[in-house]
Amino acid sequence: MPAVALRWKDLLSFHQRINLITGKGGVGRTVVAVALAKSLALAGRNVLLVETGQPDEGFSPLGQYLGRANLDDEPRNVGPHLDACQLWANTGHELFARSVIPAGPLVTAALRSKPLRRFMNAAPSFYELGILYHFLHLVQLEERGGGKRYDAVVVDMPATGHTLALTSLPDVALRVVEKGPLASAMRRGQGFIHDAKVTAAWVVTLPETLPVSEAIELVDGLRRTRVPVGGILLNRFLPDPFSEAEHRVVDRWMAAEPLRGRFALERIVMAGESVSRLTESTGLPVIRLHEVARDAGDACAGLVAQFTDVNAVTGSSLG
Amino acid sequence: MAKSVIPLPPTVSELIATHRVIVCCGAGGVGKTTVSASLALSAARQGKRVLAITVDPSKRLAEVLGVSESQEEPTVLSPEVMRSVGVEPPGSLSAWLLDPQLVCDRVVAEVSIDPDAQARMKRNRLYQNVSTLVVGMHEYTAVEALHGFIRDDRYDLVVLDTPPSRDAIRFLDTPERANAFLDPRIISIFLPGQASLFQRATTALVNKILDLGLGKESRIELQEFLTLFQVILRHLNRNQESMQKFFASRDVSFLLVTSPAQAAVDEAVNFEVRTKALGVRIGGYILNQSLATAAGLPFPDESLVTAGASAVERSALSKLQTLAKVENAAVERDAALALSLIQRFAGKAPLWVLPRFTREQSAFGALTKVADLLMGQFAAF
Repeated sequence: MPAVALRWKDLLSFHQRINLITGKGGVGRTVVAVALAKSLALAGRNVLLVETGQPDEGFSPLGQYLGRANLDDEPRNVGPHLDACQLWANTGHELFARSVIPAGPLVTAALRSKPLRRFMNAAPSFYELGILYHFLHLVQLEERGGGKRYDAVVVDMPATGHTLALTSLPDVALRVVEKGPLASAMRRGQGFIHDAKVTAAWVVTLPETLPVSEAIELVDGLRRTRVPVGGILLNRFLPDPFSEAEHRVVDRWMAAEPLRGRFALERIVMAGESVSRLTESTGLPVIRLHEVARDAGDACAGLVAQFTDVNAVTGSSLG
Repeated sequence: MAKSVIPLPPTVSELIATHRVIVCCGAGGVGKTTVSASLALSAARQGKRVLAITVDPSKRLAEVLGVSESQEEPTVLSPEVMRSVGVEPPGSLSAWLLDPQLVCDRVVAEVSIDPDAQARMKRNRLYQNVSTLVVGMHEYTAVEALHGFIRDDRYDLVVLDTPPSRDAIRFLDTPERANAFLDPRIISIFLPGQASLFQRATTALVNKILDLGLGKESRIELQEFLTLFQVILRHLNRNQESMQKFFASRDVSFLLVTSPAQAAVDEAVNFEVRTKALGVRIGGYILNQSLATAAGLPFPDESLVTAGASAVERSALSKLQTLAKVENAAVERDAALALSLIQRFAGKAPLWVLPRFTREQSAFGALTKVADLLMGQFAAF
């Protein structure tokens, strides 16, 4: 355990092993995923942080917060108690093939051939199947002495549409394939992903009208695919410094003449409304992540501080 | 704007007047859907018969445009509604929500000569989930749908809102990515009836792997799907090829919608490079949600607090001043960004700056406001 005064209470919301961080583009999903993974690692849990990717892409959204240009399909240590890697469809395909047929040079060569790889990535559902299979493999990794290698897995999920394609995949795949090893792998996947004791999806959003609507739609979508939703992470939240009486005064000034600060004021009002809308529409806990520096590194550190310090999130709906 | 060598449309109004298709590109969360709908509205106000194709609208915008899932035909907004937002005949606005499955069904109906094959395809469980299962189906079908609509003489202008993606014009190289399907050498591995002994052996091996993994029944269904889907893709691809040529023509203009986020500049630069490589034309850049245009607001000062003001007024002022200072910094930052983008693209393409709005009253209200701004007080910087 590092010598940091940790506030365990705050991390209790993230007691599930698998945390799927979802949300539309531009809401800060990736930085929130990294900050959460770092916070859980600081609390002494062995954490695996993953994102979807593909070989030779040469770009890793997670990597930019971890000081690495690239990640590959093998977990690499990126900090104390923290490993990170990408989920690759091809890796999943290979792992799956290996599990059903004895590894022969012919099979390996066939699976590694470029045309087949290209085909597998473009063919119906093969891409998602590979990703999911790779994920299930990593989640189930064990230590030599027995026991799971990772106490917590944090996934930076792809954009909304692809997220739902992934989370609905076990159900869709089982409609299409009923028997055989693939079907049993998918059933195992369902077992993990639909179990509220194991998995929680977290919807990251912003305290603005449209992103809030989209978050509510995403929660509905996740619930339709039977993924337990843990809560909403309201990023770049602005606390309201004004009392009701002060609001009335400021509103009067603004009505007489628009003043500098009107956009900031409106964002604050919108932030408050966002919390009530999200709570009412979803019934989920809304965890407020206060706006921090815009610079990438600082933003991540600021979020870690909020995840690990109870004082920084006073008034949040944690727990 | 700096003098340019090639003549460029200096206003949105000219852009609308001189093109048949405007494609709005951009990452998610930059307000692309709203901007493209506003653009369509602006064109309708100029007397154009406009079709807006939208991919992923918010519920509210979908309601305003009257689009819902699985509509065969675009929704024509009623003349009464149109009149209330300043659209007079012959101007009109229609909207259509892209439904990949529907587009696929249309292709199936068009290409399958054999009604048996058509029925088999519709029964195939993989086909039934094709839009979820096939990567890039949204992009593919967007282009296919556009191919149909530009031949439709009901519309003078089509505004296409592209699917959001990391890469602003990714949908243009979909054929390349999906061509893996059509490579006969690859597809043949999966299909029975091979000529050579080697091919038969490979097919047998692949079948064995698939039987072990999926079960025989599903393997057969997969092969059936691949056989039939090839026909669909071949059809889609033929149209994609002619569309690539069309996209590079003078009739089409690409707009990049971006926000004042840090990544905006990179995105815009990347867009410039990619459009050049693909030989398509940039109509302009729209920097959305910018505070750059809000520079003139007065700072809340002591004059607001009258003599004998209450403690509440004093504390309200001090708190408002704190907010105003933060906002000043944001305004400066957005103004600097707008300036750097303008310098970057001077002489190449116009940049329009749209302000961040205070509260949208109604979705249509927001659309008309954006439309006013697009057409009105500011032409290109």
